[in-house]
Amino acid sequence: MNQFTFEGKQKRVLYGFMLLGLLCLIGSFFMDSTEHHSRFWTNFLHNTVFFTGIAFISLFAIAASVSAYAGWYTVFKRIWEAYAEFLLIGLVLLIVLIAGLWGHLHHIYHWNTEGIADVGSDTYDELIAGKAGFLNKTWYTIGTIGIVGIWYFLFARPLRKLSIQEDNTSTLDFSVHKKVKWYSAAFLPIAAFSSAAMIWLWTMSIDPHWYSTMYAWYTTASWFVSAIALTILSLIYLKGRGYFQHVSDEHMHDLGKLLFAFSIFWTYLWFSQFMLIWYGNVGEETVYFQLRRDQFPVLFYGNLILNFVLPFLILLRNDTKRKFGTLGFVALLCLFGHWWDFFQMIKPGVLNELAHASGSHGPLPFAAGFTIPGLLEIGTFLGFLALFVFVFFNQLTKASLNPQSDPYFGESVHHHV
Amino acid sequence: MKEHKEVLYGLYDDEEDLLRAVKQAGADHLDIMDVFTPFPVHGLDPLLGLSESRLHIAGFFYGALGTLTAFGFMTWVFTRDWPIIFGGKPYFSAPSFIPITFELTVLFAAVGMVVTFYTICGLGPGVVNPVLDDRITDDKFCIAFKTNGYSDTEIGKLRSFFSNTGASEVSTKTI
Repeated sequence: MNQFTFEGKQKRVLYGFMLLGLLCLIGSFFMDSTEHHSRFWTNFLHNTVFFTGIAFISLFAIAASVSAYAGWYTVFKRIWEAYAEFLLIGLVLLIVLIAGLWGHLHHIYHWNTEGIADVGSDTYDELIAGKAGFLNKTWYTIGTIGIVGIWYFLFARPLRKLSIQEDNTSTLDFSVHKKVKWYSAAFLPIAAFSSAAMIWLWTMSIDPHWYSTMYAWYTTASWFVSAIALTILSLIYLKGRGYFQHVSDEHMHDLGKLLFAFSIFWTYLWFSQFMLIWYGNVGEETVYFQLRRDQFPVLFYGNLILNFVLPFLILLRNDTKRKFGTLGFVALLCLFGHWWDFFQMIKPGVLNELAHASGSHGPLPFAAGFTIPGLLEIGTFLGFLALFVFVFFNQLTKASLNPQSDPYFGESVHHHV
Repeated sequence: MKEHKEVLYGLYDDEEDLLRAVKQAGADHLDIMDVFTPFPVHGLDPLLGLSESRLHIAGFFYGALGTLTAFGFMTWVFTRDWPIIFGGKPYFSAPSFIPITFELTVLFAAVGMVVTFYTICGLGPGVVNPVLDDRITDDKFCIAFKTNGYSDTEIGKLRSFFSNTGASEVSTKTI
């Protein structure tokens, strides 16, 4: 089947999950043991960053593959294109966060406290004042809207448009593909630098006293694994419904290899970040890991088990990557695992800041939705996932599933590992 | 003294011709001794009925041995044999053992698999392996049949198989 039909039943299920997500968001707004509705805002930030990141990294994957003359992914490139379209929704969600920043509706970001950079004020903080040139509302707003806007309007949309336009040309006509290559090559350096700036603003600045130069890499690897995991799950589902028949065991095997390899790459970055800080033993660097290891052991060790130990041991064997059941299970594990990873990046820092603001020192109290993900968090995750899948399915209907005129289509159909 | 093999082999110019010929040989129930190609040909293994290599299973155990060796040795050295405090860290500092453990895992797995592979293939220093034709390491694809004790009709059948499947050259050799 060349054309995807978004059935009414699928729509109803997705609307149902979106409603569940909305109810969970509302629930976390009111049933919150912390101040400033922090549970709601951190859930919102967590899922927004996670899914916007998946959309971004899908666009990056297309650009990187095109620039590297890769052909194997062409049979399912519409999936990545459709994922990338979520960037627009991500931008809207981020604007909600920005509005909260200006209205002081949330206190996720400690650097947004009034007077924190003014010498002599009660809340003055010398370390944050030194970073105020980067960590401020104006730059957060301009940076987020500008950079995500550039990703979407200057790259995701033109690339999508060109790709659909290519369907009307012949396979041997490279005129459109040449333009695709220009856009892809231009996107790579921009994406590499700008995504780092974004991730510093969105999640690293939650612990504003702390910084790590590995953080952006580490987060990007997390997004990549999530995107690959979601691609595997989407393909298994869509193939089961009769679409994407050109996608064979060979493509799934390669996706499995990517999932395996990038799980290890993620671990490598995680460990590099951890070990340098652990060995260096510099106070303002160790705070980040000390907080998470001592007070959030479930998050800290669970993260490593979900994202390294299990995928590594399960996907190590050749044939597990070719069995859809096993591969799908690991993909599900990794998708949840990297959501968990973002959870442990965001929540402990916010809870710690709240405790400090209320003047308490010592161990943090157990807080539902902070110490470990609660049911409301899971519900919110499912809601955002449904929103993402809704946008994805909606975009799939807008173009033929098989990009017959892509110069690499033939190569991709005959892909053999 | 090793048994001499009488070999009848045909050379093909193209991998597609080779694949078709191997498929044909299967249909004709001909017993192929071996196929030689200058590079890996996709789809050849299942046609020849070769089972998946178990080399990677050996590789896993070599790797695991490397992990244990490195981690165990460092643990022994730094807790029993020669305890030194580095940077105020405890004697048993697992994170600092990880890089070496990783490296020895890779080293053991790699070297172990190379040695195993060479042993299984009968390769190594001083070993001479007969080569049917030098060009099978360059641009020719070869199908070889062992013809010890074959009658003339059987050999004729093999020769007609080669000519029917488009072999560019057919020769015999005793190795």
